[in-house]
Amino acid sequence: MKNLHISIIMGFIIIAFGIAGCGSSEVAVNKEASTSAIRAAQEVGATEVPRASFYLQLAKEGVVKAENLANEGEKEQAESMLLRAQSDAELAIVLSHGDADKTEATEALERVKKLQQTNK
Amino acid sequence: MKSIKYFFVTVIVAIFIGCSASLPPQELKDARMSYEKASKGQALKLVPAELHKAEVALAIAEKSFLEDPNSFTTRDLAYIADRKAKMAEGLANSAVEKAAAEKANKDYEIAQAEIIEKAKVDLAKSKSESKLKADQLAAALVKLAAKEEERGLVITLSGSVLFASNKSELMPAAQNKLNEVSDALLATKERKLTIEGHTDSQGAISYNLDLAQNRAEAVRSYIISRGYPSDMIFAQGIGEGRPIADNNSAEGRANNRRVEIIIDNK
Repeated sequence: MKNLHISIIMGFIIIAFGIAGCGSSEVAVNKEASTSAIRAAQEVGATEVPRASFYLQLAKEGVVKAENLANEGEKEQAESMLLRAQSDAELAIVLSHGDADKTEATEALERVKKLQQTNK
Repeated sequence: MKSIKYFFVTVIVAIFIGCSASLPPQELKDARMSYEKASKGQALKLVPAELHKAEVALAIAEKSFLEDPNSFTTRDLAYIADRKAKMAEGLANSAVEKAAAEKANKDYEIAQAEIIEKAKVDLAKSKSESKLKADQLAAALVKLAAKEEERGLVITLSGSVLFASNKSELMPAAQNKLNEVSDALLATKERKLTIEGHTDSQGAISYNLDLAQNRAEAVRSYIISRGYPSDMIFAQGIGEGRPIADNNSAEGRANNRRVEIIIDNK
């Protein structure tokens, strides 16, 4: 009878550890690189450039997905997802710069045309 | 017979497994396409280092696909390779735009320098033309015996040369004299002219004033018809108010009947 009690107690302890183990499946991931890239994309005006804005949005969604994966204990997947988010944000930066370069080139060409027209 | 059947089933299963294993995920298909697009564009020439990064990323994704085709790692690596290829393409486009802007800025500087040079030449030409005109005017004014007074250079034309007695229509002979004056004046169209009509003291003051005004207007119209700007030439009838000689003698009255053209000094 005493042995039965010990077995029941041990069983409870095992179940309790199991539950505790499931509850603490959340893992920490380093989001610094991806969030920095998102901030940088916002600073260079990615929200104002349609194509850049699209990738910026994907980057933000990627970070949220990574957070969810980390909450589920999927550390490897979460880190991989953060790399995706980072690459989206970096692409948004490149496209923002590209848009600015295009605008500058167009303006420079316009200046030349105007100068040539006014001095014909 | 049974072994043959088993062999075929094995082959079909093997083909099925082989086929399903070789199907790349969408991310890898996208990455391959993006890399191909970037490598066929300007990226190889303008941003080779970025294109190389994309190539390496794609190779890693392909390797992962061979090792573990359906893993999230393969999909994520392919996704990143896709973005790197797009970045290479974007940077190449940027380089093209920057080169275009640089060229346009250079063209602008060249065009500006040309305009400044042309303006300098035009200015020098205009200065030499102005000097020539001024010399021509000076020579013509000497010929017309213009006098320098406080109100400007004054050319005096005798009334008897221009008009018949009591008339304000120019005589045909007056045209030669006025042509000579007009030609000299046309060298300085930018200077204000005042045409003054003067009479002797014979007759009523109001009559003389009207006659003087009409004569001044007639001379003004003639000079305008020769090309002088109408907004730069004014007529004024003075009448008998400013004689230059004695009205008691015939010679003095003849001198008082005159038209004066005053060329503004400014």
